[in-house]
Amino acid sequence: MQAPDRFLRYGLIAPALVLVIGTTLWPVVSAVTTSLRDWRLKRSSLPQKWVGFDNYLVAFEEPEFWNAVKVTTTFVILDVLLTVCLALAVALLLRRAGVLQSLVRAVIILPFAVSPALIGVSFRFMLNGEHGVLARGFAATFPWLSDVVWLATPGYAMAALIASDVWHWFPYLTLMFLGGLAAIPKETEEAAELDGANGLQMIFLVILPQIRSIIAVGAILKTIFALKMFDQVATLTGGGPGITTQTLAHYTYAVGFVHYDMGLASALAVILTAILVTIGIFYIRLVLPQREHSAP
Amino acid sequence: MSDAPRPPVLVSAALILLFGIIVFPIAWMVLTAFKQPRDVYSLTFVFAPTLENFITVFQPPWNIGRRIVNSLLIAGGTLAIAIPAAILAAYSFSRFQFMFKRSLFFLVLATQFVPAVVVILPFYLMFRDLGLLDTRIGLIIVNLAIVTPFAIWMLKGFFDAVPVECDEAALIDGASRLDIIRMVIVPMAMPGIIVASVFCFILTWNEFIFALILARDNAVTLQVGLVNFRTERGDLWELMAAAGVFITVPAFIAALSIQKHFEAGLTGGAVK
Repeated sequence: MQAPDRFLRYGLIAPALVLVIGTTLWPVVSAVTTSLRDWRLKRSSLPQKWVGFDNYLVAFEEPEFWNAVKVTTTFVILDVLLTVCLALAVALLLRRAGVLQSLVRAVIILPFAVSPALIGVSFRFMLNGEHGVLARGFAATFPWLSDVVWLATPGYAMAALIASDVWHWFPYLTLMFLGGLAAIPKETEEAAELDGANGLQMIFLVILPQIRSIIAVGAILKTIFALKMFDQVATLTGGGPGITTQTLAHYTYAVGFVHYDMGLASALAVILTAILVTIGIFYIRLVLPQREHSAP
Repeated sequence: MSDAPRPPVLVSAALILLFGIIVFPIAWMVLTAFKQPRDVYSLTFVFAPTLENFITVFQPPWNIGRRIVNSLLIAGGTLAIAIPAAILAAYSFSRFQFMFKRSLFFLVLATQFVPAVVVILPFYLMFRDLGLLDTRIGLIIVNLAIVTPFAIWMLKGFFDAVPVECDEAALIDGASRLDIIRMVIVPMAMPGIIVASVFCFILTWNEFIFALILARDNAVTLQVGLVNFRTERGDLWELMAAAGVFITVPAFIAALSIQKHFEAGLTGGAVK
């Protein structure tokens, strides 16, 4: 390559790098420094003294923090599990050709395009105790649900939150898994059929093992976005009833922009970032080699 | 195909149920948008449709017209900055070998996993000092955080698919690298660039938390406008639904226009 290219390769990256560093890396560094200070906006508009790791210690002693950890863990585990299982089942259903399959394929992307904030609002509407179509429909179908006020009952509010997120995300994972299924060589199934495998054996012993790396990628990706999930908490449950659906992201938001404690909010944000970036790096390592490999 | 070992009736039933699960929440919102308030509470499918809600949301105090303009300008501004920058960076990552390339690419990808609450804290404090709270410029700046890394990742994948021989042929003809990007790569990877742009449009169009915290009045977007329909008189569901239709239609058009390429984008990385 000619000499100018040597500088050009960096020059081409520079504008994007400035954007990325300025809009994500700088905020992270800034949050780390703020997390070491006492800064309550209600008392002072300027940062106060350095307090070391006090904000982190305050967080760890705060029952609300541990509640948020518990809520987030519950949400993430159930959300990821349900989304992945549903997406797998749907991908297996849609694999074959057919009129109904084409019909579903034509609309499957839609839930993913609906904004999460609007999904939260819609689900709150549909689960409204008096005039919510889902709440009334469930009550009519399942008698034991007739007295449940969905968003005012802890377990049910969590179920609603998870349902709204599964609805938003399963199409995305379904399309991802369909891509993986399409790449399976036909011979493996034919061979298994000759060996007399039944339907279940075919799915669990022949098909799924061949797309397990894609399932892993999908599950990790979903985990990351479940950990980040904020919009539906804000528009569906508001963290309630009480604080039973208050996730870490929403708790951080409340500390920062309801109580205006920037120091504590930054500490919480740093904790959340540390968790996410750790999983994120794991994810990138999983995805990157394959892609580098496929490059010409 | 008749080689399905499962009973087709069960499969058909599952597919119809699935169709219902996908479509019902959307259909219910659309129906509600055409209902008069009394029909909203009666849960009926049969009612005299009205366009009143779509008119009401454009009037004070809702002023959804201004919010649509804000959402469009913020999404447009974000793309206008992010996509060109991402094209240049993606080309360099796709074609050159250089020191720290892997680390830099890793860094770009890792920033996708920084949660929005972290991005928003320092920007809130900075914008407060700079007078950028409640401005569209401020929102464009923070939206770049979610769009740029994603666009670089996706575009690199599309550029990788353009044969290096095309670059080499143009180089022999005396073209500069910038010429090559403009006259070879961009035209050849145009479908990919459109897919990436549409993806990024959906991300910024649907963005909620940044606008919730940074906008008060002037820069409020459609998404945050939804929250305002929660009034002291209770939730105005029919107006929310009408606003929801305005939120959803552009995103649906965008998503359906690139549906074919969706799977290509999926391996490209993380969305929202």
